[in-house]
Amino acid sequence: MVTIRINGEPHEAGDASRNLLSFIRFDAGLTGTKYGCGEGICGACTVLVDGQPLRSCMSTVGAVAGGSLTTIEGLAGDGDLHPVQQAFIDEQAMQCGYCIPGFIMTTFALLSRVKAPDRTQIREALSQNMCRCGTYQRIVRAVERAAASGGTTP
Amino acid sequence: MTESDAREPGLHVHGEVGLGYPPPQRTYARAAYANTRPDAETARWLTVRPDGSVVAYAGKVEYGQGIRTGLAIEVADELRVPLSSVEVVLGDTDAVPWDMGTFGSQSTARVGLQLRKAAATARQALLEMAADRLDLHAADLRAASGRISSTRDGHRAVTYAELIGGASIVRDVDGDVALTAPSEFSVMGKTHARIDAQARVTGRARYSQDIVLDGMLFASVLRRPWRGASLASVDVGAAERMPGVAQVLRDDGLVAVLADTDEHAAAAVNVLQAQWAEPAARASTLDLPGILVNSGRDAFVTQEAGSLEEGFRAASGSLEATYFVPYVSNAPMEPRAAVALWEGDRLTVWAGTQRPFGIRTELAQRFGIEESQVRVIAPEIGGGFGSKSPYPVAHEAARLARVAGRPVRVAYTRAEDMTYATMRPAAVIRIRSGFTADGRIVAWECHAYHAGDRPFLGRRGSDSPYGAPHAKVTTYTSDSPLATGSYRSLGAAANHFAREVHIDEIAEAVGLDAVEFRLRNLSEPRFRRVLERAAEAHGWQPATGVSGRGQGIAIGIDVGSYVATAVQLDVAGREVRVDRVTAALDCGLVVNPEGAKNQVEGSIVMGMGTALYEAIDFQDGRVLNAGFTRYRVPRSNDAPAIETLLVGDDDTPSTGAGEPGIVPIAAAISNAVFDRTGERHRELPIQRHLR
Repeated sequence: MVTIRINGEPHEAGDASRNLLSFIRFDAGLTGTKYGCGEGICGACTVLVDGQPLRSCMSTVGAVAGGSLTTIEGLAGDGDLHPVQQAFIDEQAMQCGYCIPGFIMTTFALLSRVKAPDRTQIREALSQNMCRCGTYQRIVRAVERAAASGGTTP
Repeated sequence: MTESDAREPGLHVHGEVGLGYPPPQRTYARAAYANTRPDAETARWLTVRPDGSVVAYAGKVEYGQGIRTGLAIEVADELRVPLSSVEVVLGDTDAVPWDMGTFGSQSTARVGLQLRKAAATARQALLEMAADRLDLHAADLRAASGRISSTRDGHRAVTYAELIGGASIVRDVDGDVALTAPSEFSVMGKTHARIDAQARVTGRARYSQDIVLDGMLFASVLRRPWRGASLASVDVGAAERMPGVAQVLRDDGLVAVLADTDEHAAAAVNVLQAQWAEPAARASTLDLPGILVNSGRDAFVTQEAGSLEEGFRAASGSLEATYFVPYVSNAPMEPRAAVALWEGDRLTVWAGTQRPFGIRTELAQRFGIEESQVRVIAPEIGGGFGSKSPYPVAHEAARLARVAGRPVRVAYTRAEDMTYATMRPAAVIRIRSGFTADGRIVAWECHAYHAGDRPFLGRRGSDSPYGAPHAKVTTYTSDSPLATGSYRSLGAAANHFAREVHIDEIAEAVGLDAVEFRLRNLSEPRFRRVLERAAEAHGWQPATGVSGRGQGIAIGIDVGSYVATAVQLDVAGREVRVDRVTAALDCGLVVNPEGAKNQVEGSIVMGMGTALYEAIDFQDGRVLNAGFTRYRVPRSNDAPAIETLLVGDDDTPSTGAGEPGIVPIAAAISNAVFDRTGERHRELPIQRHLR
């Protein structure tokens, strides 16, 4: 039996080889984290493990045993918005929105590491994620806005 | 829903169903969408609830184009209520008026207009009720912020909620109702946050991939290795003994593993031992241009004027060139998924399709039941760009759930989605032009061969807007080794690529600047305006021949909207870096400017991918690059800075904004690469041909 914490809640998995993304989405019922490619290259499945970004589709529950995960649902308290989430709304940085949870988690991780990233740093960090709707220009502006509004401090 | 209105408190507005149905004969829309027909003459479009809030109903779906917000804006403005009190219900066949499907950028043009009329009808009804209640003439009343007050004495007022109380009132859409004039708009034309943004940034928005039901089984389907392959035999023994497998089902040609988890299903389907029968021919990428030209049929003339012979005689110069676009994957971020639930002989399917009503019709026919026994719910949809009209996983889930007696989920993996979903058709386009020394096109001959079993698709955007007195444009439907379907603008992007590169070639041949040459041959004022505005805002520097600067421009028209796009780029080795793009769009009256700009930006980024790197490769009928490791799409560090100008007039009816942005961009990029390097690129994607 493997125990992990997701957004502060303990979850138990019987099978350590269970795909982490599938566990999050289907076993823990947190469907805000998305399946996009299953190859670790589109970033839609990005979660934080002990504060570090991880492509959950390429990991297993066992690999993060004992760890503390944050998903898009856990970024802000109930009914609240994290400044990064608010910035994506303010810049209309979305179309279909399917990739957006992944971008928000990548942004959160970037701003945890670099308080005031320049545009090149932002574009490079975000190049780990894909948005097929092509809203990149707005997403970059949202990251700049989030950084200016206090970054990762809710 | 009509019957229940009589009991449900609120002010309900009913109106005509089946806007735009049937589409004209011999059109793509007719062939692709008209399998379903209106299920009622009228339906409820709008309700003002007893608390004064408003709910609008539409059969369209939200798949990234932002129509939920756009429609809410239109309703809020006509009904004089805050945007925050409008809710929009979409894409649930049990809850919304019948609709043919979300395609061709018609949501704002048709459904938006109907909802505006419904909202204006409701406002008029409320004004009449208020006149009775306040004992004033309706002409002396005004509606604002969900409240009606006397224009003379603001204290004499009544809210919508007070007017409706517990009553149930039904009105019919007044087709002649006075709509709010653009000069009076208070919500339309302004910037608003999307009404569904919060659900998306918090992960609460539910997409097809996210639907999980109690007792649901996860399916993995045995997929054919190439198009046209048929199953000769399959041994399921080993798969049945795999962990978590509930059963291995065969239903005609459909073979699937049903298991307790997605992983168990996927593992078991991999051990199925299948033998496939060979189809007649299995093609490869290199065969494609020949197949397209040699199999061209269903010749259809989309434009004809004068006589080509005469035109070429009058010309002092002529050019002839062939252009090629490969198959491109729509590759929406959300692979297709569906969940089916049978309750007795009632079927509910969650499916992220653009055609919930069309899928309902198909399912009813498949199972021999009434349409009223089938409910299709299109939840949030993670992109599609036209390709989520056919939705085979909805059928698979329904078939499997019926046999299994439990709810079943079928979800494509990324590789399945890029192999079995439809692609943008490959095309070969030949153009021969004749022109005079002073830069007038006098002859224009075009033959466009578009892959695919859907005729009409390649006709879109094939006619030339340049006023050649002698012209003939013919489109053909050609055999397609891979399955093709809708993609943003259908064949218009391919047709525009060929035409707008060719126009640049003529400009070069006659020694004229690309903007100047186009202006000499364009008479339509809306075309001239988008071109002039884009060039001016971009800082276009007139040049003849290769300037070395890397600037390129192209124009286009799609779904009634005019667009011009200028790009600035650099070429380093085999990598093209698009730095800056300026687009001018005339889509008439703009309801939601940020929404329209967002669509243009997305179209440019997507079109840039098709121009530079995107192409589906296949060998012996098998797709080779189904997945993002070998199929490159633009990322944030590829994306240019984009400026979008909305230059339409408010008194011109709204036309689409979701598709036009893609039609000129590939040609503008090719023209800019030529301007930078002196190499003309007539085949996409360009980066494969850089030396």
